[in-house]
Amino acid sequence: MRRIFLIAVALAVALVAVSVVFLATRRSARTFSPETTALAPPMRAADFVLESASGSVSLQDLRGKVLVLFFGYTFCPDICPTTMQRLDRTTELLGSDADAVQVVMITVDPERDTPERMRQYVSQFNASFVGLSGQEEAVLAVATDYGIFHARVEREDGGPYTVDHTASVLVLNADGELVLLWPHGMAAEAMAVDLRTLMGG
Amino acid sequence: MKRPLLLAAGTVLGIVIALPAGFALLRPVTVLPRIELAPGYDLIDQTGARFTSEDVRGTITLYSFTYTQCRESCYGVLELMRDVQAALDTVDTRGLPVRLVTVSFDHRRDGPDALTTTAAGAGADPEIWTFVTGDSVRLQRAVRDGFGVFYEPRPDSVFRFSPAYVLVDGAGIKRADYRIGTPRPEDLVDGIARIAREARAQGVLHVAYEAAHFFACYSE
Repeated sequence: MRRIFLIAVALAVALVAVSVVFLATRRSARTFSPETTALAPPMRAADFVLESASGSVSLQDLRGKVLVLFFGYTFCPDICPTTMQRLDRTTELLGSDADAVQVVMITVDPERDTPERMRQYVSQFNASFVGLSGQEEAVLAVATDYGIFHARVEREDGGPYTVDHTASVLVLNADGELVLLWPHGMAAEAMAVDLRTLMGG
Repeated sequence: MKRPLLLAAGTVLGIVIALPAGFALLRPVTVLPRIELAPGYDLIDQTGARFTSEDVRGTITLYSFTYTQCRESCYGVLELMRDVQAALDTVDTRGLPVRLVTVSFDHRRDGPDALTTTAAGAGADPEIWTFVTGDSVRLQRAVRDGFGVFYEPRPDSVFRFSPAYVLVDGAGIKRADYRIGTPRPEDLVDGIARIAREARAQGVLHVAYEAAHFFACYSE
């Protein structure tokens, strides 16, 4: 009887060991999309405090859900709207699992993008999306911490300036740790698969 | 009948436990840790052109920090970078491009001309080694906050600074941070080669590298 118990314990330990190795390698090596940079173990992500239309929001406040973070601006002619459309499609593909995901867009153009303007902009794509803005210094700090460059570009025709910026998307787990980096142009289907994998689906 | 079964189960169990434990202890594959995201930045290079963190995405980049008027306590930054540049010919980067970037925190004096002169004096190949600076706010964000490098101007226009060399991979992740003592060129080149090998790894080898990250099998 005692021997059977020991074997059962040993098998359980073995199962755990195998699972740990399997999960550690499977996450980044197999099931994420080829263009995704998967980080296992997850990396620390810098905290931030920015402004939404309904008040201050910090990274701490957003914990508990998988966070999909995109840096853009509302006057953005092409990259931002297409990325936001893809993210909306991604949540659509996730179905009810999208409840565990929060898409957040942080402006790289705080001069024009007020929190209210950000709210209106992201709501055009999906009512659940959150738009954040803040003081220029605060936005610069967050962008720097998350590896996002942004630079104001004056147009030669005298039109409204544009902002060059990093267009990749960052994914944080429910503990607020960085787990995935998506390059610009990822298909919604690939992002949905990655999120399902991340959430253990 | 029972004994052979037990023996077989024990053997399988032993292998299953020994494999990950052996990997963690024997460290057959080691990696440079993924430390954190390198900062995003928008600076100006020695030609006066914009130089951003996106310009080095997809390349292995070695950053150093100094200023062109440095005459004392300069820690041999440029000499070390020159040696690394020379050694790149001898390292197999698996076809991955490598960039060297020296950031000047003396934005008042280090305009494009000063950077160009210093780059030429240091023997910088413009295709590989870029000198950059920027406005004070963005420099502080990138250098002090992002790369964690201390620098401080003194009244006599001499800067106090702590030398640092930071290796960043193609995904924009800091992989090594050398700031205790002066690293040897071969250490930096070895770091570059390690990142390249890992980036190019496929199949089982890729899984092994990921396991090395998971078990914190980090290079010394």
